[in-house]
Amino acid sequence: MKLKLDPRTKLYMILVVSSIVMMSATSLFLWVVRIIITMVPIGLLILEKHYALALRFLIFYVSALVLMFAFISENSTGFLTAFLLGYCSIVVQFMPAMITAWYVVRTTRIDEFVSAMQKMHMPDGITISLAVVMRFFPTIKEEYGSIRDAMKMRGVMFGGGNVARMVEFRMIPVLFSCVNIGNELSAAAITRGLGGKVKRTSVEELGLSLTDVVLITLFSATMIIFVVFKYL
Amino acid sequence: MMDSIIEIKNVTHSYKGALGESVKGVTLSVKKGETILLCGASGSGKTSIIRLINGLIPHYYQGDLTGNVSVAGREVAKTELYELAGVVGTVFQNPRSQFFSVDTDGEIVFGPENIGLPPAEIKERKNDVVAMMGLEPLLGRSLFELSGGEKQRIACASVAALLPEIILLDEPSSNLDWEAIERLREIIEEWKAQGKTIIISEHRLWYLNDLVDRVLYIKDGRVDREWTGEEFNALDSDAVRDLELRPTTVSKHFEEVFKGKVSCKEMAISEKRDSIVLRDFYFSYNKKPYVLKKKKWSAEDGENLSLCVPGLTLPRGSIIAVVGKNGTGKSTFLRCVCGLEKDCTGVIEDEGGEFKGKKRIGRSYMVMQDVNHQLFTDSVEAEVLLSMKDKNEERCLEILDSLGLKSYKDTHPMALSGGQKQRVAIASAIAADAGLLLFDEPTSGLDFAHMEKVGELLRELADSGKTVLVSTHDPELIEQCCDYELYIEKGRVGYFRKVENSIIG
Repeated sequence: MKLKLDPRTKLYMILVVSSIVMMSATSLFLWVVRIIITMVPIGLLILEKHYALALRFLIFYVSALVLMFAFISENSTGFLTAFLLGYCSIVVQFMPAMITAWYVVRTTRIDEFVSAMQKMHMPDGITISLAVVMRFFPTIKEEYGSIRDAMKMRGVMFGGGNVARMVEFRMIPVLFSCVNIGNELSAAAITRGLGGKVKRTSVEELGLSLTDVVLITLFSATMIIFVVFKYL
Repeated sequence: MMDSIIEIKNVTHSYKGALGESVKGVTLSVKKGETILLCGASGSGKTSIIRLINGLIPHYYQGDLTGNVSVAGREVAKTELYELAGVVGTVFQNPRSQFFSVDTDGEIVFGPENIGLPPAEIKERKNDVVAMMGLEPLLGRSLFELSGGEKQRIACASVAALLPEIILLDEPSSNLDWEAIERLREIIEEWKAQGKTIIISEHRLWYLNDLVDRVLYIKDGRVDREWTGEEFNALDSDAVRDLELRPTTVSKHFEEVFKGKVSCKEMAISEKRDSIVLRDFYFSYNKKPYVLKKKKWSAEDGENLSLCVPGLTLPRGSIIAVVGKNGTGKSTFLRCVCGLEKDCTGVIEDEGGEFKGKKRIGRSYMVMQDVNHQLFTDSVEAEVLLSMKDKNEERCLEILDSLGLKSYKDTHPMALSGGQKQRVAIASAIAADAGLLLFDEPTSGLDFAHMEKVGELLRELADSGKTVLVSTHDPELIEQCCDYELYIEKGRVGYFRKVENSIIG
């Protein structure tokens, strides 16, 4: 089954999931809410057949949770625990937001996204810049791939052991390519009428389906429950 | 009545920050329905003329502009770019950087959506364009998975969906193989039949013969000469060469080579004496399922192999053209030879030694099609030194001198011209002391003079004892400098033979 969500639902999901995982969970109940909300994007990933990614995430996530509950308490001290805490918090607090964003970027087509933003009456400047960012993810990946090849060939993968050079060798060509591509891309886009005063239309007819409504209600409810139980 | 649809009157323009003028006093009038070819060296002003017509000059590329350009009755300087969008459409050179969407469907409707057409009409236009260009197989796909030729067809479709009266093509064939160029020609023919006004700026001329009504030769920002289509076709090859243009015709021999119609199986080279031998190169992009240890590829995998070269003897000091259609394993072959695909088996036998796996990387060096990817440092000298195992500055200067780069040794590589960057990459290759140099389409998008220079350079490299493998779609380059032709088909060697002399037909 392929689930087609409205981009607005997806954006709302990013907002809710990242807010909830970022707010600290102070009771067991809040932890349960947080874990449930994290499972939503994972479920969606599985529906999109990204099994490997979902599995990998689950392994990381579960192990971080187990480690956190087993070894870390409010009065733990020591370097190793601090390190462990750092690792666990990153996985538990940041990864869900990242994986949600990844899901959204992967499953949303740019024109869908643009028309969703328009329906929400976002200014064109914001919409177009965000659309370009989405368009650039795969480009950066491609460019980075070629640059890695070139580095391999010259045996400079590790910059001669110098971390600064390692970063420099990767970043400089990537930046140059992206600036060039960006320049040509904008020229091509504006000759095809991007940025005109005319209101842009879209063949993508967006509408909130039942699933969208259910998910939005679910997200809102979770958000309210979380905030209420945390602060009241 | 033949109305002129484009009027350029005495236009002079220079880019902001540039020293010289890009176009100087150009006057040009184009009739409705005409097909015009702009030819001339790189930097002669062809692209600037295209930009004058589509409005990128003065709206996007700023600079000083005098004179007047009007297109379909509108003065370009006073018309907003988005108003021109439905009138002038432009297909650009680089298929990678001209699409805005990530998927093919979104790209075709991008223009019409921008000018705010009702969705029903957009869908209708999309269906028309798709039917006309036969794009059904490409629908619903990610643009990042398509080949350059397929991307270029989508770019044409995206332009056509706006139904412009005028279509400009700026070196559209630069990154295409033979087959894709023929598809491009068909699209241009169709547009011509629809009565569109077409202006093409191009270095590759052979695919346009008998398609154009008028040819303009641009030199130093001026329209230097002008012919009708017939007059231009009647020019003999010497006259074309004197103008520093690429040939207007392709000999039958190369037509067969590039269309993959040669059936000869001869493996001309058997002299083992002085050569580099490639043995047991097997590789596939489909990974074999494995539990703990990766399985090696071998000849038994037969049809599953993306590359299958049991043995190949490359004569030392020769230039070998690697030909074949795009997507049939040329790049895979080059990548495997220089050791970039680490799962590829294969041994390079050279100077009595055998080199496997990672050791192949040191034996060979690839100069990539986009050299920007392989320049890492902040000066030309540092770039060359980076490749040397023992940093020998004297040797470095020697190499730079031999490539005419000595005076640029402290320049930032990104500040150089395309050709100079390519030579810096070659300098690094020489510094790395690799015996086998690989070039991935070094001449695509180059004009005749630059192509000739690349050819001379390859010759010098070969004369100094390097063995050069060069993948190319340019018959001119093979004719000029290559000793052997290696035809790759589906990852297998189709044939390997000497380039016959005097095959100019």
